[in-house]
Amino acid sequence: MVVGGGHAGIEAALIAHKRGVKTLLVSMDKKSVGRTSCNPAVGGLAKGQMVKEVDVLGGIMGFFADLSTLQSKTLNKSKGRSVWSPRSQIDKKLYEKIAQKYIKEQGLDVLEGEVVSLNIKKDSICGVFLKDGSEVVCSAAVLTCGTFLNGLIHIGSEQINAGRYGEKRAEGVTENLNSLGLKNGRLKTGTPPRIKRSSVNWKKGEAGYGDEKPSPLSYRTNNFSPKDEPCFSFRTNKNTHNIILDNLSSSAMYSGEKMATGPRYCPSIEDKVYKFNQNPSHVLQLEPEWTMSEQIYVNGFSTSLEEKIQLKSLKTVSGLEDVEFIRPGYAIEYDFFYPSQLKNTLECKAISGLFMAGQINGTSGYEEASSQGIIAGINASCFILDENPLILKRDDAYIGVLIDDLILKDTNEPYRMFTSRAEYRLQLRSSNADQRLLKKTKEYNLLDEKTVEKLSEKIEKTTNLVKYLENNNIYPEKINSRLEELDEKIIKEPTRMSNILKRPKVSISDMKIANEENKNVLTDHMEEEILFEAETIIKYSGYINRQKDEIDKIKVYEDMIIPEKFDYNNIKSLSNESREKFINIKPQTVGQAQRINGIRPSDISILLVYLKRPFHVKQIK
Amino acid sequence: MTIVACSTPPGVSGIAVVRISGKGAIKNISTFVKDSPFDEKTPLSRVCFLVDRDGEVFDEAVITSYVGPNSYTGENLVEISCHGNPKIISRIIDLSVDAGSRLAEAGEFTKTAFLNGKLDLSEAESVASIIHSLSLTGVKAGVKNLKGGLSKEIHSIKSSLISIVANLEFNLDISEEDLQPNLLKQSGETILRVSKKLNDCIRCFEETKMFQSGASVVILGPPNAGKSTLFNRLVNKNQSIVTSVEGTTRDVIEKNINISGLPILLKDTAGIRDSGDDVEKIGVERSFVEAKDADLVVILNDKGLSFGDTKHIHVFNKSDIKTPDEKYDISISAKTGDGIKKLKETVYNSLIGSKIQTDTLIISKRQCNAIKGALKHIKEARMLLLAGDSIELLIEDINKSISYLDSITEKTTKDDVLDVVFSSFCVGK
Repeated sequence: MVVGGGHAGIEAALIAHKRGVKTLLVSMDKKSVGRTSCNPAVGGLAKGQMVKEVDVLGGIMGFFADLSTLQSKTLNKSKGRSVWSPRSQIDKKLYEKIAQKYIKEQGLDVLEGEVVSLNIKKDSICGVFLKDGSEVVCSAAVLTCGTFLNGLIHIGSEQINAGRYGEKRAEGVTENLNSLGLKNGRLKTGTPPRIKRSSVNWKKGEAGYGDEKPSPLSYRTNNFSPKDEPCFSFRTNKNTHNIILDNLSSSAMYSGEKMATGPRYCPSIEDKVYKFNQNPSHVLQLEPEWTMSEQIYVNGFSTSLEEKIQLKSLKTVSGLEDVEFIRPGYAIEYDFFYPSQLKNTLECKAISGLFMAGQINGTSGYEEASSQGIIAGINASCFILDENPLILKRDDAYIGVLIDDLILKDTNEPYRMFTSRAEYRLQLRSSNADQRLLKKTKEYNLLDEKTVEKLSEKIEKTTNLVKYLENNNIYPEKINSRLEELDEKIIKEPTRMSNILKRPKVSISDMKIANEENKNVLTDHMEEEILFEAETIIKYSGYINRQKDEIDKIKVYEDMIIPEKFDYNNIKSLSNESREKFINIKPQTVGQAQRINGIRPSDISILLVYLKRPFHVKQIK
Repeated sequence: MTIVACSTPPGVSGIAVVRISGKGAIKNISTFVKDSPFDEKTPLSRVCFLVDRDGEVFDEAVITSYVGPNSYTGENLVEISCHGNPKIISRIIDLSVDAGSRLAEAGEFTKTAFLNGKLDLSEAESVASIIHSLSLTGVKAGVKNLKGGLSKEIHSIKSSLISIVANLEFNLDISEEDLQPNLLKQSGETILRVSKKLNDCIRCFEETKMFQSGASVVILGPPNAGKSTLFNRLVNKNQSIVTSVEGTTRDVIEKNINISGLPILLKDTAGIRDSGDDVEKIGVERSFVEAKDADLVVILNDKGLSFGDTKHIHVFNKSDIKTPDEKYDISISAKTGDGIKKLKETVYNSLIGSKIQTDTLIISKRQCNAIKGALKHIKEARMLLLAGDSIELLIEDINKSISYLDSITEKTTKDDVLDVVFSSFCVGK
């Protein structure tokens, strides 16, 4: 049973259905299944990597996005390749339509209804009750309630009970979960106004287009040639800022009303103007919500100011003098459940068979939701099929980082993924998601045979190419002229090609040009992707090997299991603060215990003593 | 388990301190403290009589009780300051063991304190160094670290590094625009500053470690240069046999001396010459081995002898009877004592350097190694920066450097970096 039809819910339901488990998706509104509530884009920094990972694990977000792309662009191209991140502007209407059609084609059952409480017996879920009084029996459930739990919209001082603009909120579930002992908190997120295309003077904006050679988000997409509709950037100015500053009191954030915490990485315009008042101007991106849509998304102007102030300040922006609203920006407050109450499978520690995914766990973003959805869906099906759960580690995937962070860190604001959260990001590239995860994909049977075959072949070719470059020499006379051109030191003796390739300025195409024999190996049956990936593997190998050593070192702790009923009260020597953290979070392994914020190495030493492990203080070699 | 040990050095002294730590410590002493006023609720300090098994008073002592966790070890703790007669000390320990405690192992009090979270690793190491330190300056360094002097310095270095990482991460991780101009230049400058600071720390360690562990100074030179005379002069004792027969000193003779507070292990060696005598040959070989491992070699009357890596000074001896034909660093007469004061100053300055910094003091070798590790990665980061290689690799090295420093103080988390990013940059389109 999957409750909720957003990005987490769809992934969870479809993968469980695919794995042969009888699955039902319950949504308050069948027509809103697959809705993208906020910005019209999928992917982006760190998120693009996650979409790729979800895709290899049998998820559909990347595939839907590819089918509805309005513009495709890889971000960070001028920076290091492990942070290259694909992103697509999407047609929101089309995305929704494709999602609903796909669900129908797959034969997944969807029920329109509102879940109000859960039927829990002996700490296990056995069904859910709907508002109409009926019960749906199930052996496992995935809750993906998004921002709907006691959702409260703020526009200026106006407050509306809603899950999304114009959509009813969900009541009863929070209270029911509380009565089962689960603790919730309150978070806030915002969305900018939607304006009319016809009210904008587009000539004043600067047009931005996608890549010339766009790359798809899904490995299942062939012959990707998407639309390339431009987005336009405009800039705020002193006048805009002054109007906002003068009216801060009308914002729900600043009117002194106690509100839940909002995300620092996606601040409202009032936050930006107030906190960074030295910035004379902020960028606004005007993005189409569907192809040539009249409705335009004002990226960068998330706000909960009073509607007329929003309008007044936007009108000071050059090009937006006559702007008209379709609907104003707003902030929404909602209930989430502290994710430290979950295991790394996303199953509740206290209620067996109950899984949670998406914003209910305090995250933000479609990609973060989808990542949890796929894991919750797989593990709920494993639960029913009595298989071992799928757990991704921090060095496997961003998804592993996401879940590990969620269950161990304090949630003060909606969690968004950043590449800097991943200590092993050099090996978590968007270009190698397949290499990292295909083994699991096969083990859990998550992807269709054809795609698995295609990816296996690509991985094999890449590995062989790397071997070739590592085991074969290049001769000075073949490469030196090119090295001179690049202002690189020339070689005196035949040298392994991989060693030359490790130099920052040298690329794999230099090898191709340098040697007739190479030319055959390198071009015969190699797609660009493979050449690029092999080059990356070689260029980063020094760093990645170093990281592998680290991973091996800490693996010992990852494998040290702390018994579920371990009594921390027995350890007198722990500080009260650390003991409380251990008791609240109940880490499953010593590795997890180490990563809890504020836990000191000495706490771990003590823990190890009590776990009857040799007393050991971790030191850097 | 309750543990007991004498915490002051063995031997006769005015006062000795016996420590008893553990849950049962306070109950333990009530068996040999007359009318014990101590309980497990309130810490107390009292003058008490100590009584034998038969009730006879054998000493009067100041006893201080601490109630855990508010004690050094974090457990109940009793300190008995008795008179420093070894018989009294061992009687107290016997009585305590009779009452159920056991003898503490070396360092067990500090280990208990560490396990109970009373000390962090850097503090625990400081305590060890206070205990083992051979000089007053060393003790002062240890005390300073106990109060967080080292942690403070490392913190400031770390925060410079975190701010570079935050800057770079903002560009890499959040901003979708091109790199900020000047970013790399500024990062390079900070990196240079940090590596200088780390270098200072390491130099400080090299300089100050001698105050803790002492320096070894070897006297070397040809036979009959007066090495043993100088040795005796410096130790103020006729320890080394002095004759006019070449090859009198065949083995290495050592003695601890102290120059301006710096503990020195002074070594007299066999004269350097080709000898047919096997025993003397071995002696000569040992002289070279000692010299190689020394912190300083004092070369007497042999301008031709030199050591590449080891610090050395050339000293001309017997200034009372002849003058050197070459220029020596210093000229003395071991026999008359002429120039010895100047020699001591020269030895001290060669070992410590003229300008010892008292601000940062590195204590343990482990900490110094961590700083060396941090420095190594900072240097690599600088190379990458100069080569124009990818920023993520640069960050990787700086992060690695930070994690080395983390092993001295507390851990830096990814959130620390994000906090800096969010407070310094306007994030979000």
